[in-house]
Amino acid sequence: MDPFALSVRNLSTVYETPGGVVHAVRDVSFDLRQTERLGVVGESGSGKSALALSILGLIDPPGRVTGGEIELAGRDIAKLSDRQLGAVRGKEIALVLQDPMSALDPVKTIGSQIIEAIAVHEPELRRSAARKRAAELLREVDIAQADRRLDDYPHQYSGGMRQRVAIAIAIANNPRVLIADEPTTALDVTTQAQVLSLLDRLVEEYRAAVILITHNLGIVSEFCDSVAVMYAGRFVESSGVDHIFMAPTHPYSEALLKCVPNPERLADGPLPAITGFPPDLSRLPTGCSFAPRCPLGREVARCHEEAPRRYEVTGPAGPATVECHFAERRIPAVSA
Amino acid sequence: MSAQGIAGAPAGAAREPEQPILQAEALSKSFQVRSEARFGRKHPVTVLDEISLSVRRGESFGLVGESGCGKSTLARCLLRLLDLSGGRVLFEGVDLASLDRDQLRALRRRMQFVFQDPFASLDPRMSAGAIVEEPLLIHGIGDHDERRRATLEMLGEVGLTEEQAGRRPHAFSGGQRQRIGIARAFVLRPEVVILDEPISALDVSVQAQVLNLLRRLQEQFGLTYVFISHDLAAAEYFCDRVAVLYLGQVMELADRATLFHRPLHPYSVSLLSAVPVPTAGGRRRRASRPQLIGEIGSVEERPAGCPFEPRCPVGRGRDICRAERPAITQPADGHLVACHFPGELAVGGGGASAS
Repeated sequence: MDPFALSVRNLSTVYETPGGVVHAVRDVSFDLRQTERLGVVGESGSGKSALALSILGLIDPPGRVTGGEIELAGRDIAKLSDRQLGAVRGKEIALVLQDPMSALDPVKTIGSQIIEAIAVHEPELRRSAARKRAAELLREVDIAQADRRLDDYPHQYSGGMRQRVAIAIAIANNPRVLIADEPTTALDVTTQAQVLSLLDRLVEEYRAAVILITHNLGIVSEFCDSVAVMYAGRFVESSGVDHIFMAPTHPYSEALLKCVPNPERLADGPLPAITGFPPDLSRLPTGCSFAPRCPLGREVARCHEEAPRRYEVTGPAGPATVECHFAERRIPAVSA
Repeated sequence: MSAQGIAGAPAGAAREPEQPILQAEALSKSFQVRSEARFGRKHPVTVLDEISLSVRRGESFGLVGESGCGKSTLARCLLRLLDLSGGRVLFEGVDLASLDRDQLRALRRRMQFVFQDPFASLDPRMSAGAIVEEPLLIHGIGDHDERRRATLEMLGEVGLTEEQAGRRPHAFSGGQRQRIGIARAFVLRPEVVILDEPISALDVSVQAQVLNLLRRLQEQFGLTYVFISHDLAAAEYFCDRVAVLYLGQVMELADRATLFHRPLHPYSVSLLSAVPVPTAGGRRRRASRPQLIGEIGSVEERPAGCPFEPRCPVGRGRDICRAERPAITQPADGHLVACHFPGELAVGGGGASAS
């Protein structure tokens, strides 16, 4: 059995604000195999981005990782010093952000920014060799006339091209794990499809694992192998990708799926929107954090009193881990 | 409250010929642009190229296309927020260019705009109540008490309380801010509202709430919507008829069912099949789907023939597509398409709503 590319155990992160302690990531555990593509979905404020930053060791005060292990290729990076982590970040694990404009420096050429990313981890590399490698990377992400376009500035690139540059920078050092935080959200569907096939190719060529953070369930279905639904800082349901579409077991997963506009259900009247708001992460309810909004548990005392444990269930598309008191009853008996 | 009647009515069904509420006739728009290639000299660049379409009273008319296709510029031209470079815009048959300033101002009351970004479009120093009341003040409607009543009533319609009226935009979530933007546009009781990407900055769960709200208000006030979106699934859900734009030209225009299930233009087909669908088996689905090459072209280097030719799976390299701009044809009643080879590329996945 291959070792995991990334193993996260009991990761928790808080932000200590004047308004109280915000529990952004709560006891998250998962394993990521080499070349696995994990989709993390949830509403804004569910802790998706805080999870990414926690894994990368980029949580700044007043935020703090309070516990957990992050094992990258057999090494616990949660215990590393900032300096040691600097050597890992960008090399073994890299991040692509939603808005490439904020990740790129507007006054530096595209080429110099890619070269910088290479030079951090390969300081001995000669500039001409680094430039050659930068042009290769640009070609790798399908930028035409790469040699010439190295000398352009970010504003001379379209949004889709800037996102591809951000990916080129992220893969400059062959990372084992690529975390992409809403990488296609600002893009048109056609450009989005191109970025996804670029990521496909990288997974295959570089054998990298990908964590794709998104709120677009269509992208999860079409890109990912596995999926975790995040709510109030926890993975409330995790499974292989088809499970969530065939048998969403946590009522939150089901609600999230149902509120995607579906023209086939036009005649059914208004879209089934999720009522209410995600909970205040500094004043979490005692029981299940979804209970106040939950169509199943809203009236059930147990859901408000007792936090659900993790249930292992098996649906028509395979196993899933679900934090819901109703998990077993929601999956009709499936012969194993 | 049902969505029937507005969206549920079979689009394209026989109806009384009625004057469109809003029409564009050969609408063109160019901007003066300085370009390095011309040593910094200004030259005109055509952003909208002879667009003709008409919006029926009470419908939701969609404008879709990739960024850079001109959909937002078109919306601004329709409201005369931008001057035209050619053609006409008619409101209830009256040419907007024939109106004097006062008449145009009076007409603006009947046509409102909801912007994409609820963060950027609301003044952070004003309370929600003041933001919603402002259009009434600008148009000199009612006295202090009447305005206050109208403001609170409108805030109530969009689901905000009297107590929240005193808060400033930063105290609200994205979805609530968009509700304030909607209340501000609707407080004048307009007849036409242009919705420019009204949900793209919002979470999925909030998108549903805002779409439901817009639907309810449309039924309640008998509104006409122009819905601009790059989210094709939302456009399919929301619109009765849809125009697909590419580089400032209408490629195809049809009712929802036709456009999303039997599109004829290769661009419509490519665009629709690129929409990821949240159902099982997505990996195989995407692998089997042809992918559109390249990015939307530049209006500065508009091809002589069909603007889509350089990317077109059907027409790329074909002489006629390169040389001749396709005329708009009408293969069926109410279905317009600008293509030399309509229907040659078939829909694979069944459109944005395949399930």
